[in-house]
Amino acid sequence: MSQQEKNSSIPYPVKLVVGVLLMVGGTYLSLNSEKYLPFQKGLAEQGLPLDLGITVAVIGVFLMLFPVIQIFYLNPLSDAINERTSELEHTFTEAETLRSEMTKMRNDYEQRLAATEAEARSQIQAQIKEAQELRQSLMAEATAKADEMVKRAAEEIESEKQKVLSQLRTEVVTLTLAASEKIIGENMDTDKNRKLIAEFIEKVEVPS
Amino acid sequence: MTNLVAAAEGHEAHAGLIGVAFYIGLVLLLMFGILAAAKKGLNSKVFKNAWTQRTEQLYLFIENMAVGIIGAHGRKYIPMLITFWMVIFIGNMVALFFPYAPTADLSFNLGMALVSIMYVQFEGIKANGFFGHFGHFAGPKLGGIMALLITPVIFCIEIISELMKNVSLSLRLFGNINGGHKAVEAMNELGHTVYIPVGEFLLPIKLLTVVVQAMIFTLLTCVYLSLVTHHEEHHDEHAHGEDHLHEAHAAA
Repeated sequence: MSQQEKNSSIPYPVKLVVGVLLMVGGTYLSLNSEKYLPFQKGLAEQGLPLDLGITVAVIGVFLMLFPVIQIFYLNPLSDAINERTSELEHTFTEAETLRSEMTKMRNDYEQRLAATEAEARSQIQAQIKEAQELRQSLMAEATAKADEMVKRAAEEIESEKQKVLSQLRTEVVTLTLAASEKIIGENMDTDKNRKLIAEFIEKVEVPS
Repeated sequence: MTNLVAAAEGHEAHAGLIGVAFYIGLVLLLMFGILAAAKKGLNSKVFKNAWTQRTEQLYLFIENMAVGIIGAHGRKYIPMLITFWMVIFIGNMVALFFPYAPTADLSFNLGMALVSIMYVQFEGIKANGFFGHFGHFAGPKLGGIMALLITPVIFCIEIISELMKNVSLSLRLFGNINGGHKAVEAMNELGHTVYIPVGEFLLPIKLLTVVVQAMIFTLLTCVYLSLVTHHEEHHDEHAHGEDHLHEAHAAA
């Protein structure tokens, strides 16, 4: 029993039986209208061609026609439309679910991307800071080393200078003595003279 | 058979039992032929069959009309409304190509009108109860002597009004279709001497009548159903239903 038949208070078989009875009765009335419906002749003469037998038969035909058309075509059509509608609704629901899932995945991806970017940024900052600290320490070390090297070089220069000055002094004394010896004509290379000259040179030496 | 031939020659407004039965059979044959062709296309998800598409459009049109005028419960009247629409439409189409048609017969139209109005009364009684439904015919509740004087008069007028709905539905259809035949015959007589069927120039108007009369009958049935099944929501809906009634009568 279909939903529409449930809605109808008269069952289909009853409609069909009543329809057939009305159709047969109407046909009988129409065929014997002069006996049962004599007034129709007068109506026809007045331009109103009415056959109530046909009217009754038509009522019977329609009582049979409603359920027949409903069962033959309208129920299958209604089912097909409902099925198509439910399929469309199902497809739309599926599409909606997929869309919401996609939106959720996109949000997750965006959140993960943001987190990754933040982490990368913090790591870069840490690396930059570390590099700057390393640079500072390397600079300080290099400066210290350079200062030490300059100091050592200065000490070496001073030492070499003293050494050269000492040698120069010795050479000057030797040359002075040799020159004096040549001039005076006698050997003056005594320890006493050498001492005197050295003292003199020290006195006249220009401070460096 | 004599009746059938006489009807075919267009000399009578009434074809007799056999003539009417023949044309009703023809209409039903065409209708079931169309429905059978349409039914073949129901298997696919998308209706590609032209007949299926047309009948689906008709179904949706009638469904919209029923739901729009009667309300959500109007869907249960769709089988009856579609049957009326198809029988009248195909009957009117037959009237375009044949000299007679069921819808050009007053007895046939009266039968359809009686089915429609009896069904409306049945639904009214079902919705409001016997006394509720017929009590509505008595009009507004009056007190005292007025109730004795006015109420019976209103009741009688309403009963006559209900009976006249049958006459209105049947005569309108009969007048339009049979009148169309008469007009074509009369105009053909004008061009008879020069062998020009002048009456055929009425075909566009008759084509319009084919659709309009099918729609009016169905629409009025919807409106009558709406009036008797909306009493609980009463005045607004009643006014709404009467608006549709006025529109339908204006179209008719």
